[in-house]
Amino acid sequence: MTEPRQNGLRDTDQRPIRLEGTRSRALDVARNRLLMAGAVFGLAFFIVAVRVIDLTAFAQVPRAGLVNDAPRPVVARGDIRDRNGVLLATSLPTASVFADPREIIDPEGAADKLVAVFPELNRDRLAAKLAEDRRFVWIRRNLVPDEQHAVNLLGIPGVGFVGEERRVYPQGNVAAHVLGLTNVDGQGVAGVEQSFNNRLGDGDGVRLSIDLRIQNAMREELQAAVREFRAIGAAGLVLDTRTGELLATVSLPDFDPNAPGANEDVRRFNRVTTGVYEMGSTFKLFTIAMGLDTGTTSLRGGYDASKPLKVARHRISDYHAKNRWLSVPEILVYSSNIGAAQMAMQVGGERQRDYLGRLGLLSRASIELPEVGAPLRPSPWRDINTMTVSFGHGIAVSPLQLTQAVAAVVNGGILRPTTILSLDGAPPPAGERVFSASTSRQMRALMRLVVRYGTGRNAEVAGYKVGGKTGTAEKLIAGRYRRDKRISSFVGAFPIDAPRYVVLAVIDEPKGNKRTYNYATGGWVAAPVVGAVVRRMAPMLGIAPVMDDESEPVQYRTKKAREAALRVAIGKTIARIRGSQLASN
Amino acid sequence: MTGSAFERQQLTASQKLLQIRWLFVVLVCLAGGIGGVMLYSAANGDLNPWATRHLVRFGVGLGLMIAVAVSDIRLWFRYAYVFYFVCLALLGAVEIAGSVGMGAQRWINLGFMNLQPSELMKIALVLALARYFHGVTIEEIGRPAVLLVPLLMVAAPSGLVLRQPDLGTALMLVIAAGAMFFVAGVRLWKFALVFVCGVGVLPVIWQSLHDYQRQRVLTFLNPERDPLGAGYHIIQSKIALGAGGVFGKGFLQGSQSHLNFLPEKQTDFVFTMLAEEFGLVGALGLLGVYTLMLLYGFAIAASSRSYFGRLVAVGVSMTFFLYMFINMAMVMGLIPVVGVPLPLLSYGGTAMVTLMLGFGFMMSVYVHRDVVLGRRSSGEIL
Repeated sequence: MTEPRQNGLRDTDQRPIRLEGTRSRALDVARNRLLMAGAVFGLAFFIVAVRVIDLTAFAQVPRAGLVNDAPRPVVARGDIRDRNGVLLATSLPTASVFADPREIIDPEGAADKLVAVFPELNRDRLAAKLAEDRRFVWIRRNLVPDEQHAVNLLGIPGVGFVGEERRVYPQGNVAAHVLGLTNVDGQGVAGVEQSFNNRLGDGDGVRLSIDLRIQNAMREELQAAVREFRAIGAAGLVLDTRTGELLATVSLPDFDPNAPGANEDVRRFNRVTTGVYEMGSTFKLFTIAMGLDTGTTSLRGGYDASKPLKVARHRISDYHAKNRWLSVPEILVYSSNIGAAQMAMQVGGERQRDYLGRLGLLSRASIELPEVGAPLRPSPWRDINTMTVSFGHGIAVSPLQLTQAVAAVVNGGILRPTTILSLDGAPPPAGERVFSASTSRQMRALMRLVVRYGTGRNAEVAGYKVGGKTGTAEKLIAGRYRRDKRISSFVGAFPIDAPRYVVLAVIDEPKGNKRTYNYATGGWVAAPVVGAVVRRMAPMLGIAPVMDDESEPVQYRTKKAREAALRVAIGKTIARIRGSQLASN
Repeated sequence: MTGSAFERQQLTASQKLLQIRWLFVVLVCLAGGIGGVMLYSAANGDLNPWATRHLVRFGVGLGLMIAVAVSDIRLWFRYAYVFYFVCLALLGAVEIAGSVGMGAQRWINLGFMNLQPSELMKIALVLALARYFHGVTIEEIGRPAVLLVPLLMVAAPSGLVLRQPDLGTALMLVIAAGAMFFVAGVRLWKFALVFVCGVGVLPVIWQSLHDYQRQRVLTFLNPERDPLGAGYHIIQSKIALGAGGVFGKGFLQGSQSHLNFLPEKQTDFVFTMLAEEFGLVGALGLLGVYTLMLLYGFAIAASSRSYFGRLVAVGVSMTFFLYMFINMAMVMGLIPVVGVPLPLLSYGGTAMVTLMLGFGFMMSVYVHRDVVLGRRSSGEIL
């Protein structure tokens, strides 16, 4: 038996130990080495165990943290309602889908799948987005439940949902410009949504002065006019003259705030507040009111309108020229530029500016909307400007400003700030007196004559005594007034004896048709709109028709007969006004 | 030679059976059973396709293990080199005839089964190294020339495995061999020297690595570098581990695993699934089973009178430990992703059967712990 190598503890137990150098050393080495190896194993086990405990018991699951980082609305955005409580804008909870690109294994494949659910997404752009070195990218905001379900079925890891809310406008286009828009993050970017963004964002509601029924009536009538006269746009307003509340404000073309991306910018333009236009003859209301208020002239007064006025290089003529001396009422009824210009000259440029300024026509309108256009005014203000401004040329204001000022003319002479918010029965602001009550009363009588005998006959509504004034202005395009491109308008007030509402309709670039004998003037295209709106809104507001001699519609077979009737009516009006003045004195 | 030692060399097969450490066999069966349960869960509560086949293979392995345990250790001592060279030849054959699986040549198709020679080599290398160091005295080990042969014995299969390419197996071969060198008594400064040289040739190795291997190392060094590609497995694995918590989500309830967020849950990531469904308790339980098994390995190593037996026990224990440690450390993000299965749990036949074969040798060492082996031959008794 050769010398076997015998190591190990058992060996030493069974044999007498010979402490020979080599053997004992080998023994020590082997024992130490085994112990060391065991220690290393133990350490390794310890590391594994610690790691297991760390990962299972103390894990921070990355997915959860990611979702918490995503924007999540705390308070639902407040509702917007009309004056009667009808819902105009609200927020619905929706889900938005995002991706954590670092967890997307196959961006190309994931993009293919997602595009199958959202065909409107650009596949390549999405794939690039999913391949970015980021932890969060939006894929699509505000899904409908079906879409969310479909995305869930795709089962792509790294794709998740965030609860969001989506702004919904149940009335669609009807009050689009007033309501405005929110962006995808729920911040108001236009209209009431923008001007009351903080309040709405805090979850508080906003109640507008708008009456959805009247708003809708105005919109429908304007749409019909735009269609019939192939106009490029229109604006319409209904203003409560006693409170300054706007009951309707329509700008066409409009947009669907539920699908903001689909609308061209031109549709977002608010013609009522942002657009400023040379309004034309409706300004004669202010000119005559100034004349009467300053005592420069009276209802009995008159001006020579037998021939066009020549001022420097300019020539002022009448559209409905009578070529004779015209009384003050006739100047308004027949819309004489010549008469208005002379009257304004008598009042004087300075006082004219002062009145226009106090009527709010020379500065930006104050209303709770971000989209407010600044008026254009002559500078310097020479005599010729005084004359053209007297019939609404050379000055451009927004339809809102015009309505506001006309309200001051008819409501007893007080200009009140216009508001888009419902006063909800609260006392209206005091306002500022611009004209005397007497001036206002005379103006109302004159406006009634315009509708009964003059250019505004198409605005007549049986029983409601509409008064008003037409306006037809040629548009100044590239420095020249164009006869074929007009702003045709009619501003009315009713019931004219104690007017509660001012109604304005403005049609942008109407084209005459057979029915209107190719006329596209305010009397032909805008006055019928106001008449129709009054006809629809009066019963809604509980205003009963009053039938008397003055409210019966009359038809005159000839122009002459009508002119004769007008003269009689003017006489009666003057007598009545004097009577009431004597009575009040 | 004492009487008792002589008698143990003459044991009958039935006497040997009684000598087997049956508690160790129970632990092996426990681990294999857990594997069956997890594979049942991995298939969403179905015995197919994995659980049944796993258990059948486990049964085959168990039979093999017992058979080897009662077989004569001197037989294996004698044929250790033969076994080694057969495996080396098979590894070479893989180079030529191996079928390509998962982008790497690792299998030989034997007709009735696919053989993975690199797995067998793990045991063959242990046997061959044990035999070599058995015949070397502690003084001789100090001589560099003596170490040349075992180094070549390690280098040849490691190089072939690396060519397949299978970084994980190559590393396991080298580390297991290193442990045997260590226990055999190679001077510590030589390990230090090898370590320094290893660091020195690192750039060369880096050059020879495949792209995906480089990616794995880079991703390990900076996991945020590529969270979608190589880092994805680990991120999902960590999420699953975290989701498990202390008591787990319950059997068949692991959403990460069952919704397929977790890749390779039936093979390399089975531990993650276990931890998700049974939580910290389950994970530590499995770790406990493994620890006991490893302690048995050490006890056997310590109890063996022959140097060969001791080294075999250490080598097999080390191989087993490496399987377990590398896999667990990988799925928990402690080391780079390397394809190493979890012993007795992961689906995959060759690795499990090989390991059980190793356990068989280890138990045979225990059964024959008093058998005296000659330095150069298979023992003078026969």
